[in-house]
Amino acid sequence: MPKINLSGVEKNYGGNAANAVADLDLEIGDGEFMCLLGPSGCGKTTTLRMIAGLEHLSAGEITVGPRVVDSIAQGVFVPPEKRQMGLVFQSYALWPHLTIERNIDFGLRLRNMPPPEREARVASVMKTLGIEKYRERYPSQLSGGQQQRVALARMLAVNPEVLLLDEPLSNLDAALRLEMRAELKRLHQEFKTTIVFVTHDQWEAMTLATTIAVMSDGRLQQVGTPNDIYDRPANRFVARFVGNPPINIVELGQKNSMLSASAGRFLSAYGAELAGASAIALRPEAIRIARQGDDVPAGVLAGEVQVTGILPTGGSWIIELTCGAEKLFLITHQPPDAEVGEAITYWAKPKALHVFDAAGNRLDAADRLLRPERKLNS
Amino acid sequence: MTLEQSATGLDRPARGRLHRLRYRLKIILREPTTIIGVLAAALFAYLIIVPILSLLVDAVQVQFGDERRIKQDVGAFTSYYLERVFSSRISHDMFWEPLRNTLTVAFGAIVLSMLVGGTLAWLLSRSDMFGRRWFATALIVPYMLPAWTFALAWTTLFKNRTVGGQPGWMESLGFTPPDWLSYGQVPVIIILALHYSPFVILLFGNALRRFDLQLEDSARILGASRLTVTRKIILPLMRPALMSAMVLIFAKCLGEFGVPYVLGLPVDFDVLATSLYRNIASRQSGVGAVLAGAIMLIGIITITIDARLMKEARRFVTVGSKGSMNRLSPLGPWRMPATLFAALMFLFSVGLPIATLFLSTVMKVPAQFTLDNFTLDYWIGTDLKTVALTTGILLSPELWSAAWNSLTIVGTASIVSGLLGLLVGYVVVRTPVRPLATFLRQVTFLPYLVPGIAFATAYLSLFAVPRGPIPALYGTTLILVLALIADQMPYASRAGISAMMQLGKEPEEAAQVAGAGWLRRMMLIVVPIQKGSLTTGILLPFISGIKGLSLFVVLAVPSTDVLTTYSLRLVDYNYTQAANAVVLIIAALAYFGALLGQKLTRTNLAEGLGS
Repeated sequence: MPKINLSGVEKNYGGNAANAVADLDLEIGDGEFMCLLGPSGCGKTTTLRMIAGLEHLSAGEITVGPRVVDSIAQGVFVPPEKRQMGLVFQSYALWPHLTIERNIDFGLRLRNMPPPEREARVASVMKTLGIEKYRERYPSQLSGGQQQRVALARMLAVNPEVLLLDEPLSNLDAALRLEMRAELKRLHQEFKTTIVFVTHDQWEAMTLATTIAVMSDGRLQQVGTPNDIYDRPANRFVARFVGNPPINIVELGQKNSMLSASAGRFLSAYGAELAGASAIALRPEAIRIARQGDDVPAGVLAGEVQVTGILPTGGSWIIELTCGAEKLFLITHQPPDAEVGEAITYWAKPKALHVFDAAGNRLDAADRLLRPERKLNS
Repeated sequence: MTLEQSATGLDRPARGRLHRLRYRLKIILREPTTIIGVLAAALFAYLIIVPILSLLVDAVQVQFGDERRIKQDVGAFTSYYLERVFSSRISHDMFWEPLRNTLTVAFGAIVLSMLVGGTLAWLLSRSDMFGRRWFATALIVPYMLPAWTFALAWTTLFKNRTVGGQPGWMESLGFTPPDWLSYGQVPVIIILALHYSPFVILLFGNALRRFDLQLEDSARILGASRLTVTRKIILPLMRPALMSAMVLIFAKCLGEFGVPYVLGLPVDFDVLATSLYRNIASRQSGVGAVLAGAIMLIGIITITIDARLMKEARRFVTVGSKGSMNRLSPLGPWRMPATLFAALMFLFSVGLPIATLFLSTVMKVPAQFTLDNFTLDYWIGTDLKTVALTTGILLSPELWSAAWNSLTIVGTASIVSGLLGLLVGYVVVRTPVRPLATFLRQVTFLPYLVPGIAFATAYLSLFAVPRGPIPALYGTTLILVLALIADQMPYASRAGISAMMQLGKEPEEAAQVAGAGWLRRMMLIVVPIQKGSLTTGILLPFISGIKGLSLFVVLAVPSTDVLTTYSLRLVDYNYTQAANAVVLIIAALAYFGALLGQKLTRTNLAEGLGS
């Protein structure tokens, strides 16, 4: 299985429009399950389509294994039909005029596979995905989930070196989506194919990927394992985008803000190394609360706030804390020990803090000071 | 890499441009899409743009046969024809009077069809009138019949002594209709209004159906009366649809030839189309070119206005929500009269004309309803005591050769234009060369701006004489096929483009990723999926081609007679029964063709006809 390498890849659709993808360097390792994650319009689908060869480059180069498949400088363009990849579309793109069987064996017929072998292959893929009984039906006679399986089977049948998935689960209902997620993970382990998966759903990316590449405005924001992305977001965008409810960000140096003031005081205790800090961020689950008179541990970030809302979500509670005009959201899995309207103290351990500089990038110095026990650059 | 080295002489940006250019070229030439597109563009340039240019050049060049009169050589520049049409002694009869007639006929037809069609549209889509479903189809039928079916039915009923031949029914019953009722403006307006009111029913009715009732309800809740709601909310929102229907009817009236020809001739009532025809028939090709150019210009202005209006209309598209669910206004005591009105309109616009035409073909003496007066001689008789056409029409070889010509010429043209339309759609949607897509879209739309009769004149102007390697095509079936293809391209390419848009690129991309090359993708994916729309794309032009007259009347010669020109010839020679029989055959072909199409594609073709 090859690794895919994108270097200096750029895509613009002409005119004065901003680049759909700009200056993208990305390496997708052999057998990896790579998720391209980002909000709609961030260039992730364009990137996937460029890997497939369905979209042409405006600059840069793409290699798959030893083979250059797309390069402006070398004038190389390998058409999609020669790239030996599989692509599952968001809309599935099943051919409405062909039966399920013919949809699945389309690629095998093109490769002139002898009929007995072909039938065996189709039967085995259908069995893997549990769609044997729909063999003679047409796509319009299947439900969304079944169509999804057919679309997957169609690509798996030809045993592609690389499987590309473009938001394949977004048209399914919640229960089916979960089921298909587990299915995809199982397929990845079984076939050991390199998978590139595009999604805007952070849950999907977190649960499936071995590596996540977060994109925004056509630019790569961060590449890392799901834990990396969650625990050490490289910049404010990634921090905000990943996590639900979203991360709490407190700007430093704000006048008339008690939250800002207390955070500033807390950081200044760590010395001049953190002078470049411009904002801190706290995951909702990292915030603790203490009622009046309860003890707050020493050496933590803490401040006075008022409980202004308690939203039960079934099994957990989201608590809205207000301090002046600012709000913090925390999530807890214990029944909250506070009432709406009550004044309380919030606190968070230093290692739970994310510190960003004025440009919005993660301040590495802060990690060295606040989380000394963690290895950096993991 | 080698190019990298050889290009080191260049500075970096220039080299970068070179690389990008090479990469782009590689992509453009990789698939035949662009090459096919370029070939198609060249073909349409020749079939559409060149004839129109040739026509415009003819308008200002001395034509063969006019050298003496103009005292200049053939081909020299002259403003003689322009002056003759616009400011000579005969320009009143040749241009200004026909122009006035065209405009009055068009506006009369618009007003009348708005009144009738608008009322019917409202009754059909928003009231609880009886039999709405049935009427919704039945009232569209007039548009499926050739317009001059009504003209012939009218003459059969109202013909008076002004013209010789068999008398009309009124005349036979002892009542002589006055000329104004028998011929000219009044009947032309009535017939065109009946023929085009389906446009209003379709366009206005659709808009009414899509209208979100919540908009109306909100106004009512805020205290507006029914009248205020109609005046302030409904009508302003319906305006684009109404305007669009008006413009469409105007454009159609502009090119309408058959009706004014049949009904105008006896009283010298000329419209632009008949004046043009008269000039072409008397070989006044220079003057004809000027007239055709004038018609074209009016057509282009009209369609430009329409395009503007449509653009404006898009600004307030009312998105249909749950609220657009149809809620019907109860008509109360008016329920029966309203239904009667619709029934009467159906009777006038379909029942009566068809019945009249049919009866006229089985009766010896008009309007004499005795058993011995009925005969099938005009259909299947032999040894009739007439000068020519001594057999019933069904036994006449001319009919069969005309029918054969109709089927082959219109059939070939429709199949070719349907396929070309799909191809254009494919190229427009897929080619990476955007200017090519734009050019193809626009060039195939161009004939829409040009009324058929003017377009036919353009073809005459280009293909009447040999040009370069292409021999003179006048008098051949090929010129008819080519002209028809070009004339049908606006509909065919629109159908093709929208079909390809609807398909999206994903099914094809999925095949591409699976390893299918261009030809395989076409054969295995694109064409099979588009089978349905291709059928529509062939059938719709076929139906309109079968009943079409204005294109053929200029380009057909007796040996290439089609059904429409054959029946017109019969009208000219006063073989009323035979002419009526042929028109009935055409009407039947068009109507059953439309039904067949509806069955095959499970769509409502009537709605497609309005486009």
